[in-house]
Amino acid sequence: MVSKSHRRTALLAVIRRLLEGVGTAWAAVTLAFFALRFASGDPVASLLSQGLASPEQADEIRISLGLNAPLWLQYLRFLTNLLHGDLGSSLYTHRSVSQIILEQFPSTAVLAVSGLIAAILLGLILGITAAWFGKRASGMIAATIAALATSIPVAFAGILSLLIAGCLLQEPGSANGMLIRLILPAMVLGFASSGPIARVIHSGLSESLRSPFILAARARGIRRGFRLLWHALKPSLPPVISLTALEAAFLFTGTVVTETVFSRPGLGRLLVKSILDGDFPIALGLVALAAIFYTISHVFADLLTLVIDPRLRRAE
Amino acid sequence: MRFGFIKTLCVLWLAAIVLLALSAPLITSADPYTPVSDMLQSPSYHPPLGTDALGRDFFARTAYGARLSLSIPLLSTLLTVLIGTTFSLTAITAGRLSDRIILTIANTALAIPGLLLAMLLVAGFGPGLSTIVLAVGLGGIPGFIRLSRSIFLGIKEMGYIDAAYALGASRTRVAIAHMLPNAAPQLFSLATTHFAWAFMGTTTLTFLGLSGDPSFPEWGAMLNSGRMHLIQAPWLTIVPGILISLTILAVHYLGENYADH
Repeated sequence: MVSKSHRRTALLAVIRRLLEGVGTAWAAVTLAFFALRFASGDPVASLLSQGLASPEQADEIRISLGLNAPLWLQYLRFLTNLLHGDLGSSLYTHRSVSQIILEQFPSTAVLAVSGLIAAILLGLILGITAAWFGKRASGMIAATIAALATSIPVAFAGILSLLIAGCLLQEPGSANGMLIRLILPAMVLGFASSGPIARVIHSGLSESLRSPFILAARARGIRRGFRLLWHALKPSLPPVISLTALEAAFLFTGTVVTETVFSRPGLGRLLVKSILDGDFPIALGLVALAAIFYTISHVFADLLTLVIDPRLRRAE
Repeated sequence: MRFGFIKTLCVLWLAAIVLLALSAPLITSADPYTPVSDMLQSPSYHPPLGTDALGRDFFARTAYGARLSLSIPLLSTLLTVLIGTTFSLTAITAGRLSDRIILTIANTALAIPGLLLAMLLVAGFGPGLSTIVLAVGLGGIPGFIRLSRSIFLGIKEMGYIDAAYALGASRTRVAIAHMLPNAAPQLFSLATTHFAWAFMGTTTLTFLGLSGDPSFPEWGAMLNSGRMHLIQAPWLTIVPGILISLTILAVHYLGENYADH
């Protein structure tokens, strides 16, 4: 039975969490704006130093970008434009940044989603194996692979996978193209992000396997098998969900490297290119969007854990 | 206390890497910047690890690379630890309001993943090695503040802190003479794990070509340039890749197990 007042406090908690999220997103975007300005000073300087613009042209660009206005006014403009979905335009091609980002978005989204699925699956398999088999060889191997996953840089994992694929598949065909373009990058990305998930499952599952409710379940006659595993696994799943939300954002830095290794178009390579070129509106737009996305996924994860974890609801 | 087998291996590995960095001019006479023979030679008696795409001695580049690859994250970790500890210590000892402000700023900054913040700073400063030191160092501060704050929070509850205040010690004195020394072991462990992060971050940024000049012997940059010759000369990527992975693994392991004691 959920009473009326109970429901109202839950609703209030949800609203509070949403407002907090909006505040965080705003503050993070602000930080990104000022961090870039603090670091760069004059964004047009890179154009000047590369000889792409004469001093007069540079002045013109400054005026057209609104860089001659005081910093606080620029910041307010940036913020209002952001709310309208306008991220300014590229210093070089003068195309709209939102347009450029939208073009590259699908490719990265496909990679990130398949990478996340791979990370969750691999994390579950490694974590469960490590906890279930404990000190036996298979358990130790799973724990070692999980430790390697956090230590091997995405770049090296990607290169190794390319090397292995190159040795295994001598002639490139259409199926191999798919393998190189999506399956391999997604697996590399998933492997690199599976470490923390495996770890949380490992510690959560080993703890619940030692706890009294498992002893009770076994006393009721549940044999050591899938039903017992499910029984023991359930309490350690909520932390995995909030971790996955964290991972979803960190996956972005992983996609930057993965896209570079596999020469795959996408937002990550766009970011690297914009940094190398000094095209600051693109870099700022990408980081601002990443921060907003991160905040949204965090809020979503918090709400989701609230829904699925009865222990938290009672505490409210 | 028994010093574990794996722990010994980790310490030995790190010692070997540091030795490699320090004695680079002694163990190889070749210059890491100038070509010595034909390009893409296989590992042999001389040069021991072959040559890279420009005919430079790859062993010399690897040895000199240890200097850059270790010193960049070391410097940025120092930067992070100094600034981060100052902020978290201030947050804990200077009163509720400053704690609230510092924690809020740190939590907000954490909404941008550290490496992404570092990339944004590189975008602003312009690519380069010193830029990477600054960017990785500054990018790690928010996370470090949050973790070191919780260390100080635990120490603040200790009886001897109350005793120090009761004896009339000022906040600054309690912070510097009582809290800092007692937090030192835990801070050191935190700094070690942070070094692993900074090392990974540095090699990632240099791998992405953000070190400015690709001729610098640095493991991340070498991993990147070796990629172009993956099939003809796989050792150009495998050697720096393994060095990076094993170093991170060793530092991770030591950092975690130090915390257990």
